Amino acid sequence: MKVSGNVDDMLITHALGSCIGVAVYDPLVQVGGLLHFMLPDSSLDSSKAQKKPAMFADTGIPLLFKSCYKLGAEKKRMIVKIAGGAKILDDANYFRIGQKNITALRKMFWKNNVLISGEDTGENYNRTVEVSISTGTVIVKSSGRVLREL
Amino acid sequence: MVDKKILKSINNLPAFPATVKKASALIGNPDYSVDELVGVIQYDQAITANVLKMCNSAYFGVRYKIFTLREAVAYLGRENLYRLIQTAGTSRFYKKVEGYYQEATRLWEHSVGVALMSRILSKKIYGFEDPKLFTTGLLHDIGKVVLGEYVRESFQEIMDLVSNQGYSFLEAEEELIGINHAEVGGEITRLWKFPIEMTEAITHHHRPDLLERGDDTIPWLIYLADQVCLMMGIGGGEDGLAYRGLGEVIDRFGFCQRDLEECIVLLLDDLESARELVDLAEG
Repeated sequence: MKVSGNVDDMLITHALGSCIGVAVYDPLVQVGGLLHFMLPDSSLDSSKAQKKPAMFADTGIPLLFKSCYKLGAEKKRMIVKIAGGAKILDDANYFRIGQKNITALRKMFWKNNVLISGEDTGENYNRTVEVSISTGTVIVKSSGRVLREL
Repeated sequence: MVDKKILKSINNLPAFPATVKKASALIGNPDYSVDELVGVIQYDQAITANVLKMCNSAYFGVRYKIFTLREAVAYLGRENLYRLIQTAGTSRFYKKVEGYYQEATRLWEHSVGVALMSRILSKKIYGFEDPKLFTTGLLHDIGKVVLGEYVRESFQEIMDLVSNQGYSFLEAEEELIGINHAEVGGEITRLWKFPIEMTEAITHHHRPDLLERGDDTIPWLIYLADQVCLMMGIGGGEDGLAYRGLGEVIDRFGFCQRDLEECIVLLLDDLESARELVDLAEG
């Protein structure tokens, strides 16, 4: 996870797969953050979650928001965009890490009244996400496809 | 029948390093001599350099700081030494990959990830591991090194089949190039005279369900380890996650989603402590 209030910064995370990138941005103070979480639920391994909260949705997302508040961001102004949660083909009776990650995130946002204002999720390709701290622009790159601004 | 051009590319690959084969055979005997093993390895400068780059990796958990090849051989222990030498000799094949990746080093990262994950899964499921597993993990995608050139040429057509016509990436390779990267990998390792369990596991690493005979433990373990690395984006490439999920793997290993997630946490730990292994392709 990275947060920044430096307008020269570009936050980037690569090859999301079934993991999810959560980009947040407060345009007034020009503070933004990017979380790359991997698994839905920290109850899997609570000691790991203490050491690496960004690994899980339920510990990483609060940390992302709180770290931005410390830099002056406020929840009511924050714009939230997500990307990732891709899946293997034919996953009906298979491991569904991507789907579980998306569900965990939506549940948290629902409970906390957070709206998602842009997203590129699911499908079966890797995504790279870039957040510009000067403008708040979130760009998603994926193989063989055109760049997409969320 | 393998296309002649592809067969030629396979034949043009450098031979698998004899040093690794000799050293592995020596380690196979529990009473190997340190002198003899050092004698075999030291003539291959690249492998010696790689061994020294990796031997202090936290992954191997050696408490002494190792500076020389002799110390590495003396302190590392048989199983670690085996893995170290396999890794040291294999990374050289991953310097250039087209089509599947913008940067070749990502395929090596993926290969190390699969090797590490196959061990974690085997220990969790069976309580032990076959040393062949790690090497098979390192080489499971070696076919991409050869097929990458052809994938690059047909990339838009492949993506069209994958995005619009429900093909897996593997099926699109077969349709447009006439062979898939797993089969090419099987051909390469057959040429290198690897044991049949390994060549078959590589040939069937996306479709272990199609394997007709023999023990299919290694193929299924490699399959699942690979799928996990694809999902977690470990060395994730242009082919992404466009491969088939075979639900029978769940019953076969008696594995639930939570078991898999626990193994993923272990994998992320291992990848961190094995950074020196992943970095090897950069040097």
